[in-house]
Amino acid sequence: MSLAPILRKIFFVDLIKGLSVTFQYQNPKEIYTEQYPLERPAIADRYRGLPRLNVNPDTQETLCIACDLCALACPEHLIAIKSERNATTKRKELLTWTIDVSRCMFCGLCEDSCPTDCLELSQDFEFATYSRDFILDRDRLEKGSEPTVYKK
Amino acid sequence: MLQYLQGYLSQPVTPGEAGNYLWATVYIVIVITGISLVVLAMNWGERKALAHMQVRLGPMRVGPHGLLQPFADAIKLMTKEDIIPDGADKLVFWLAPVVIVITAWTTFLVVPFGRTHAITDMNIGVLFMLGVSSLSVLGIVMAGWASNSSYPLMGSLRSSAQMISYEVAMGLAVVSAILMTGLSDSGIYLHHAGSTAASGVGTLSMIGIVEAQAQQGTWFIFKFFPFGLIAFMIFAIAMVAETNRAPFDLPEAESELVAGFHTEYSGFRWSLFMLAEYSGMLAVSSIAVTLWLGGWLRPFATWHGPQIVIPHYWQGGALDLASSLLPALIFFLLALVCLAGVIRMPRIPIFRFQTIGLAVFGLLLGFIGLVLLAPPVRDRIQDIFWFTMKIAFFMYMYIWYRATFPRYRFDQLMRVGWKVLLPVALGVLIVTAVVGVLR
Repeated sequence: MSLAPILRKIFFVDLIKGLSVTFQYQNPKEIYTEQYPLERPAIADRYRGLPRLNVNPDTQETLCIACDLCALACPEHLIAIKSERNATTKRKELLTWTIDVSRCMFCGLCEDSCPTDCLELSQDFEFATYSRDFILDRDRLEKGSEPTVYKK
Repeated sequence: MLQYLQGYLSQPVTPGEAGNYLWATVYIVIVITGISLVVLAMNWGERKALAHMQVRLGPMRVGPHGLLQPFADAIKLMTKEDIIPDGADKLVFWLAPVVIVITAWTTFLVVPFGRTHAITDMNIGVLFMLGVSSLSVLGIVMAGWASNSSYPLMGSLRSSAQMISYEVAMGLAVVSAILMTGLSDSGIYLHHAGSTAASGVGTLSMIGIVEAQAQQGTWFIFKFFPFGLIAFMIFAIAMVAETNRAPFDLPEAESELVAGFHTEYSGFRWSLFMLAEYSGMLAVSSIAVTLWLGGWLRPFATWHGPQIVIPHYWQGGALDLASSLLPALIFFLLALVCLAGVIRMPRIPIFRFQTIGLAVFGLLLGFIGLVLLAPPVRDRIQDIFWFTMKIAFFMYMYIWYRATFPRYRFDQLMRVGWKVLLPVALGVLIVTAVVGVLR
């Protein structure tokens, strides 16, 4: 048996190394946790959260053209769209747009299929509700969720 | 009244030695209150330091940086429902936390916070401390047995096995330190007044041990280098095992035994176990401080520095002056930290109460610092300050170990205890005796 490992044991070299690691982590800069309700976490742009229906910022009209592509793209058939042909403009107009988020797996295929950038998976991650009403309608999706702002 | 106070405070003995029951009671109340407060502070400090070592924040919600968290916890534990399991042995279940707290507190009877700042001085002080603190395993076994549940029983069995195996090495390390009290380089060491002393005979009195270190001009950790240091290391390892702290926390191993011997306890009784655990840590740390780290002596106590005279305030060595100002300086520093925290607090109405609280706390700390500057207080607080600082170092080490080392397996624990610590302790004891006699 060589001498080095014995000396390492006698002088607690490994233990002291471990102690120095934990000591250095005490630096407040190393802290990794956030105070979630007080501090909003930084969510990546690519995060696939709750779907949102975008509106034209100038006219507040929906960007949806009721093409039904998202409904076709959805692997779980969660999206249901009702539309109506406007007699004067000859264009399809959106009546209802619903999605059952209780079964949604946030795959983002609907987002990819949307030709007008109307449907988008937002960075919203707070789904907890007081009701079991998981079938979200157009109003809710255009508004997006409004999390309670935690002050204290 | 004031004269009586001054007259008493100028006496050079502990109330126990003077046979003064009133002051002994006062000291006991002060010490126990102090321990409880330190346990509260330690609760916060441990959670905070442990959290930072694990790159977490720790308590942040109750008070600024969670400073009031221990009080919130205390209120919660007091008001919590007190459950006694149906199959438990009621009397023993009730008695176990009481036994454990009493043993943890009784040890402080002989802890010398200073030459006069001890409740009493016994000529068997160390023996008394070791004996009473090892009684705490009785409380643990009682708790485990009375719970009538398998996890507590396993925990208490482990605890008793662990205590027995580490007590031996600990005792041998202590004996080698006690030998040093009688083995002086410069011939005969005389005891403090009141004990019959012969040359070459050591003392078991806690105060006597510190005085021996003062007289020999060295802390026992540095005496007969490296044998004092080795004995100290053995004690430092064994005392972690004795107090069931990580990495020797097998009796309450969370991942194996839920909470070990106090699984079935809740509310106030559980908090008594915690109180006893932290008091026990303080107690064994104070043994280590007394035996090896010079008790209430300040570092480099034999160096006084150049003579300085400040009229009406100081006459003596510059180093002595610096060390006597240190407690006040530390309080000023803490006050500054608090006031900086007040400035850094967000200016939101909700934070107003916290900000004011922190400001008041900072001012209070500054006021204490000012009081400590006054010569009579300053001279009297010195020994307590250094003793407390040394204990605080050990407390930090406990937290540090807990954050760093994974738990030992039971056979590893036994191997370390019996096959490493015990032979080394025996060897150090023999070598210390031989070296001391030959010199």
